[in-house]
Amino acid sequence: MAKRPDVHVGVSATFMVLIAAVPLVQAVSELLRAERPQALEVFCGVPTPTSLRAYESDLEAASVVAGRLRPWVQYAQFDLLGAGGEKAAVGRDGWWFYKPGLEYLTRRPPPPQPGDEPNDPLRTILAFRDQLAARGIRLVVMPVPNKESIYPEQLTRRAASADVVVCRQTRELLGQLHMAGVDVVNLFEVFGSAKRCPGTRSEEALYLVQDTHWSPAGLAVAAKAAAGRLLGRGRVQPGTVPYGVLPAPVQRVGDVVRMLQAPPIERLVGPEAIACEQVFRGDTGEPYKDAPDAEVLVLGDSFLRIYEQDEPGAAGFVAHLARARGGPVTSLVSDGGGATLVRQELSRRPRFLAKKRVVLWGFVERDIRFAAEGWPIVPVPEAGPPRPPLREEGRAQRTMGGAS
Amino acid sequence: MVFTTYIFVFYFLPTVLLVYYTLPFLGRQLRLSEDRLSLVRNAFLVVVSYVFYGWWNPWFVLLMLAVTVVNYVCGRILGASQGNARRRFWAVTVAIVLSLGALGFFKYFMFLEVNASRVLEWMGADSLDVLKILLPIGISFYTFHALSYSIDVYRGTAPPVRSFIDFACYIALFPQLVAGPIIRYNTVAEQLVRRSHTWERFASGVALFALGFGKKVLLANPLGGVADAAFGAQDLAASDAWFGVAAYAFQIYFDFSGYSDMAIGLGRMIGFEFMKNFNSPYLAESITDFWRRWHISLSTFLRDYLYIPLGGNRKGPWRTYVNLALVMVLGGLWHGANWTFVAWGAYHGGLLALERGLGKRSLYHRLPRPLRVASTFVLVLFSWVLFRSTDLHEALGYLGVMFGAGAAGGGAVLLPAELYTPGAVAAMVACAILVFRPLQAYQWAETVTWPKAVAAGATFCVALMAMFAQSFNPFLYFQF
Repeated sequence: MAKRPDVHVGVSATFMVLIAAVPLVQAVSELLRAERPQALEVFCGVPTPTSLRAYESDLEAASVVAGRLRPWVQYAQFDLLGAGGEKAAVGRDGWWFYKPGLEYLTRRPPPPQPGDEPNDPLRTILAFRDQLAARGIRLVVMPVPNKESIYPEQLTRRAASADVVVCRQTRELLGQLHMAGVDVVNLFEVFGSAKRCPGTRSEEALYLVQDTHWSPAGLAVAAKAAAGRLLGRGRVQPGTVPYGVLPAPVQRVGDVVRMLQAPPIERLVGPEAIACEQVFRGDTGEPYKDAPDAEVLVLGDSFLRIYEQDEPGAAGFVAHLARARGGPVTSLVSDGGGATLVRQELSRRPRFLAKKRVVLWGFVERDIRFAAEGWPIVPVPEAGPPRPPLREEGRAQRTMGGAS
Repeated sequence: MVFTTYIFVFYFLPTVLLVYYTLPFLGRQLRLSEDRLSLVRNAFLVVVSYVFYGWWNPWFVLLMLAVTVVNYVCGRILGASQGNARRRFWAVTVAIVLSLGALGFFKYFMFLEVNASRVLEWMGADSLDVLKILLPIGISFYTFHALSYSIDVYRGTAPPVRSFIDFACYIALFPQLVAGPIIRYNTVAEQLVRRSHTWERFASGVALFALGFGKKVLLANPLGGVADAAFGAQDLAASDAWFGVAAYAFQIYFDFSGYSDMAIGLGRMIGFEFMKNFNSPYLAESITDFWRRWHISLSTFLRDYLYIPLGGNRKGPWRTYVNLALVMVLGGLWHGANWTFVAWGAYHGGLLALERGLGKRSLYHRLPRPLRVASTFVLVLFSWVLFRSTDLHEALGYLGVMFGAGAAGGGAVLLPAELYTPGAVAAMVACAILVFRPLQAYQWAETVTWPKAVAAGATFCVALMAMFAQSFNPFLYFQF
């Protein structure tokens, strides 16, 4: 039986070569780049649980082999199993969804642990409303529905007749806000109606197919509803600026697809064509610009940033809100920080409140539970004296990774 | 450190194996005897095992070292006190009390505090400030290893260990340190002194490690997401609840048996032979049969070190039923300080007692075999609901949903997007095919042929690539 030992030696040797080759390739590639092998960093410093976790994750993140293989593995998982990895859920008819958004709708909130910071959006919203009211400013709140809430039928066949899903936690918050007399732009109702009775842009969905954010059609509907809310009760006067729109089509790969960091999938899926409408001043022909001394301050996350501050520009919610109300607004945007970061930014820059009558505060629905910084109450300072306008003063942006 | 991580597979393991197999060459240069070389190898295994364990939290190493020292010293006293029964009794008592004391403090003190606090609140008194205690990983396993040594030496079924290094190696040996199988001292006492290293054993270890790796990464991890979605759901339909608990049944089996396969495989790579821990448990025809097939190292440990000393079946039928129930409740509590585990143990203990009363037969023993297997599987599914839930309220709610008591509104309409993904369905089908086949990885990998080598190699490569695309997924039994 000369064959047996060959098998055993072959298996053993192949296994050793396989597991030893990866660190060797890594070390050689680092030495070729004139770097010290990262693996040796474990010997620098006293090991602690935190330093060991960081070392381990850095080592894997820097791995040449893992880095090369990971996109192709994800591609295979997507192509063979329709799997979108840790962050994306692949829906029907080419739709992509953000998993935390889906989990917000399906999962129970974890029970609070003793010693945890209270994570109570209602308490914070009411405090913010009162802080602003003390300065003579009215708060209007606009929770932006998760894409999964508006297009559940694109996620699963079971939701084919569900129309719009408002999960328990969102429903409770909306009800509590209503009971507390807070002005709310209820986009769940607005989008639900738009889905049932499509208007002029009926051919377009309200959200992008590959992205977490709304489409130009969706933001136009939202802007119209928000403007109606602002003007309807005399919170602000209709403006007189004549705005017009121009088609500004763009093509982009959606953020959900990009989150996978797998170029082969991006190539397979291809970019999505988006029919943006750029807002411009009818009198000067210039693209829309914020005005620092406008009556309305809009606070929000990447739902305000999309099409406005990135391609094509002046085609986002803020521009369309200005168009709908007939006058410019001021905006403060914090990617991924609609719940708290943007209020902290406002706290640091009180001049944004100068001359304001209304603050329209938008945050994505999933932030009700998953807000990165929770829902702490942030002090609102007195608005400073009017300052001469600075370049781009009316528009601030803090970009953070991931979806809003 | 976790077996299915980049650092373990590509840094820790190759380094350990290369140095371990280089030591004999070094030993020859230094003209070391076989005994000395075995000690040097064991010392090396102790060092790397402490690194492996300390990777989670370096401070936990001190606790393991303390348990090791206490049981080693007691073992020495036991060995030196032949004929002095009183001294031997006290030595083993000290070992048991101190080892279980450490386990009790780190694992159950907070549980007792929380419950005492609730009772005080119920009585209208002020609640207690609960002291938060971090649970050292694997403490239940290495405490049982240590106890097994002291009790085996006390009973005379194993000799006292020849050196502290050998004993520390037995307690800390990294393959089985944090999640078993629970190795009894008398089964490895000789291997600690002398063990054979052959290509055949190494290759068999590689094959078993590869299969275990595949079980964990390719089957258990994807199904873990399904179970998490079902057990964490706000609203759930009955069909989703059944699917979710079935996913958890497969997850826990492939996670734990995958770990056991990897542990046994790694043991073989360094010359050890550990006991088999699973034997097609979901093919069991009764709950009694299930416990002969599931976590065999724990069930036999509880039988030999708890059930038999309690009197076993020697004191009449009622005492047998009480003993069975008590052992299973304690076995449940061993898994974790939570009433859900107590209920899980009591449920199994009750069923075992019932079957014992029927002559070790199930209530449904007259059914055809496939239906007996299916009935046992369903009974086990109910127990997994208790095991997986975070508290009894959640468990009862989940069981209620399984029988149609749930409201399928709200988020329930979206749950299929998390539960019935093509990947999850494929994993469920693969699991269902694998668990209902009698062939187990343990037997499969005993002899390695070229076709098996190709199959194991392909599984390992695919699992490695899948690992690159997965986030951190520790083994379920790490928490116990």
